[in-house]
Amino acid sequence: MDVSTAVFAVSCCGTPITGTRALQKERQLNQFLAEVERRALRIAEIGIRDRDEALDLVQDAMIKLVRSYSERSREEWAPLFYRILQNGVRDWHRRQAVRNRVMVWFGRKPSDDNDYDAIASAPDPIGRAPEEELANNEAMERLDSAVHDLPARQREAFMLRMFEGLDVAGTAVAMGCSEGSVKTHYSRAVHALREQLEEHRPGE
Amino acid sequence: MNKPDDTFGKQVKATFDESVDKLDAATLSRLNRGRHEALAELHRPTRQWSHWMPATGVAAAVLVAVMMLQSPTAVDDFPGAANVTDMEILLGEDSIEMLEELEFYSWIDTADMDSDVS
Repeated sequence: MDVSTAVFAVSCCGTPITGTRALQKERQLNQFLAEVERRALRIAEIGIRDRDEALDLVQDAMIKLVRSYSERSREEWAPLFYRILQNGVRDWHRRQAVRNRVMVWFGRKPSDDNDYDAIASAPDPIGRAPEEELANNEAMERLDSAVHDLPARQREAFMLRMFEGLDVAGTAVAMGCSEGSVKTHYSRAVHALREQLEEHRPGE
Repeated sequence: MNKPDDTFGKQVKATFDESVDKLDAATLSRLNRGRHEALAELHRPTRQWSHWMPATGVAAAVLVAVMMLQSPTAVDDFPGAANVTDMEILLGEDSIEMLEELEFYSWIDTADMDSDVS
């Protein structure tokens, strides 16, 4: 972006920001989004079991963050970004429920969340032996599946704390609940997942 | 809260991180494009959100609401969901696209019935 363009950059509040500041803000946002986008995609994908839809949700969250919160401090971006994304995931589930009602009205079979194709969504191999690749993919699929099957709030707390590394306060902002609730949801999620996944741990 | 199980946590995190590291090129490309489209918002003037909604969308929303209210069987299939929530979703901006696809769903339905007959 050249300086003349930057001078006319407009913040979410409609306040023009100067060229240097606009460039700096854009760089910071670009860096932040580049840091979180891949983890955010996987988190959304585990939540809805559809990579294309998850990509759309992540892009929407990016746009909303830039449009509405670019003037906030960098420390606030992660909880805000994940709050937008989690809202997007919840809305997605609500829309699916309504869509399914409409399909039922027309006598169509509602779409099934389990249509998710784990093989098609599996990561590309990176030079591993086929057996090792298979074992890793199976571990990922088990993890995806176990986390997806958690109750929604436990799933959110677990992914934000464990996968994204947000602290309790940041997770509370992202989830729109108290820190106590975050601790409870997270603890229950860890307990449930440990029971489900422990038997697959190597060497056991 | 229980003391965190470091071994379990590390293993779960490692599995997740590996899945992130191995995202394919096409996906990474879409993420990159999405990020740049989002950053372009910085250079757009603030949108004046109007409450204007397409007439067809509103009409479709009302039609679907009436259909669902008159179809208790369908509603019963989804315990716990409230009709008020449905209306909020149906009248929401994001739902217009879905509602505008109703004709398409209807067409599919008709096409299926035709193929069943033949």
